[in-house]
Amino acid sequence: MNVAVFVKASLDPNMLRVDSSGRILVEDIPLAISEYDRNAVEEAVRLKEKHGGKVVALSALTWGPIQKRVREAEQVLREALAMGADEAYLLVDEALIPGNPYTTAGALAALAQKVGEFDLYLTGEGSMDTLSFQMAARLGEALGVPAVSYARALEVSEGKARVTRDLEEHLETVEVNLPAVVSVTGEINKPRLPTLLQIRRAFAKPLDKLSLADVSYTPPSAAVEVEELRLLAVSRKNIIVEGTSLEEIASKLVDLLVKEGIVK
Amino acid sequence: MKVLLVAEKPELLSELAGFLKDLESKAGPVETAAFTAAPSLDEARKFSAYVAAKTYVAVAERVFPDQLSKAALDIVDRENPDLVIGVATKTGNEVVARVAGAKGIPMMTEIVDVEARDGALLFHRAVLGGRAISVLKPALPAAATIPARKYEVPQPGEPGELVEVQLPSSALSLVKVEEKEKGGVNIEEAEVVIGVGRGFRKKEDLAMAEELANMLGGAVGCSRPIAADYHWLPEDAWIGISGKKIRPKLYMAIGISGAPQHMSAVLDAKVIVAVNKDKNAPVFQYADYGVVADLYQFLPVFIQKLKEKLGG
Ligand SMILES: Cc1cc2nc3c(=O)[nH]c(=O)nc-3n(C[C@H](O)[C@H](O)[C@H](O)COP(=O)(O)OP(=O)(O)OC[C@H]3O[C@@H](n4cnc5c(N)ncnc54)[C@H](O)[C@@H]3O)c2cc1C
Repeated sequence: MNVAVFVKASLDPNMLRVDSSGRILVEDIPLAISEYDRNAVEEAVRLKEKHGGKVVALSALTWGPIQKRVREAEQVLREALAMGADEAYLLVDEALIPGNPYTTAGALAALAQKVGEFDLYLTGEGSMDTLSFQMAARLGEALGVPAVSYARALEVSEGKARVTRDLEEHLETVEVNLPAVVSVTGEINKPRLPTLLQIRRAFAKPLDKLSLADVSYTPPSAAVEVEELRLLAVSRKNIIVEGTSLEEIASKLVDLLVKEGIVK
Repeated sequence: MKVLLVAEKPELLSELAGFLKDLESKAGPVETAAFTAAPSLDEARKFSAYVAAKTYVAVAERVFPDQLSKAALDIVDRENPDLVIGVATKTGNEVVARVAGAKGIPMMTEIVDVEARDGALLFHRAVLGGRAISVLKPALPAAATIPARKYEVPQPGEPGELVEVQLPSSALSLVKVEEKEKGGVNIEEAEVVIGVGRGFRKKEDLAMAEELANMLGGAVGCSRPIAADYHWLPEDAWIGISGKKIRPKLYMAIGISGAPQHMSAVLDAKVIVAVNKDKNAPVFQYADYGVVADLYQFLPVFIQKLKEKLGG
């Protein structure tokens, strides 16, 4: 069984950088593999271990400047390779920057169609930077296959996937014919941490860069302008309550809560 | 301008009507049509009164996103809206994303505000783990979803014309449905919320947090893994961008690292206290008062001191 897994090189929300006015300095924020895409890679590798076939990791660089970012995006794909993916492809094209689900989904679908035939397409439920939760749905439309979102359990047999969807009020188990797109939640599995040896071996695995021309895709002209991007202000006292014993610290904290009018 | 409202349940039409009212107050009158799935035409009629516009109805008890999106696409083709607006539930986001994907138009997920600036509509949304706001100017037509339970429900008017539509079949087939456990706590209303995270080693240990919450007249909330992964607490205790947003007088984060996806939902708390054994944990950046300690050592002492204070 061949599985394509889409991973995003996301801005790391734990490493935000801003100027004095609160404007986000996008170019200074490092990229990292989006949290739940790691679960998607893990699920893909587990399916390969069970059913054979291969895992292909796919990504599109959606944050510029390209010169600086290509290595970071390659690093994200190397991580997927270290976890057990067999090949990786990265789309790099000015027309995809800055990214937006609207331009990215079509491009990723074109990339998948260019590099192989797949029984299953996996991705995370949403990316940690843009939080749009649109990819599975849009990829399904673009690839012309069913899409099933929010999987917290997934089994594959005889050309079908059985997926347990984690919805607000209930867990819903459904069946769908393959090929299909499935988005996974952070709870579906515990992603493995690759060993040093696996990390080293990942450098021997194929990782190719392609442009939009290579995959014969023309994105719709940029139809969403980002007018502003600013940090939500947090102003807190940031006092570390200190003391020579836990008793002293605890008493001080109680007194502070009294002063704040919370403990009466 | 013309707006098509899309709802997977008729109740959501009333929230969408609240959004519409806000939009009209900023951008002037808009022409509206609505589409909802509903258990009966009567239910649909009742809620169509909130939007007071032509309402397409698919009568069905249980629907999958692909059925709704296909039906919605036909309506989009008939109505030619400038904006397609849904509610940012898991189903709502998916339905609208499918419509946007099929039509090749942009979509903005969970917009927290709309603004009319120089004749254009700008949409605000939370990004970067909820820590930042991006202001977007899309070319129209475009699609968006609004946060659930954000907009005040307006007074209903006259029900609009109802047009019944058929749902196409789904690519999914149902195997089973399990209801989730509900906790019955309302952390959104609580004045004190004690937040627990993976610093707790087992479910029984949450008793310490329960005790604190009881003493302070509050409720226990948690980070995503505690509810979604370990199921130590029901999901209505889950705080964060994919859980609940809270605004208590006191939020006490215990054994929580302070991921932006968690902390962005507690920024409106009046006072934030953090207890974490790692002095470099990001949670301290969000705290008014921080205690760097092992929660297993600190909490028993703190509970004791608090008892002394409250007792006398
Ligand atoms: C799209 C998306 C949506 C998300 N939505 C949410 C959301 O809604 N809500 C949410 O919470 N998360 C959400 N997350 C997950 C989030 O990124 C974090 O993974 C999660 O919040 C971490 O939970 P935690 O702080 O309990 O665990 P950890 O990050 O593991 O932190 C545990 C902390 O406990 C401390 N600790 C350990 N032992 C002790 C001890 N004995 N005494 C004191 N301290 C101790 C550690 O130092 C550590 O800081 C989301 C992520 C993504 C990508």
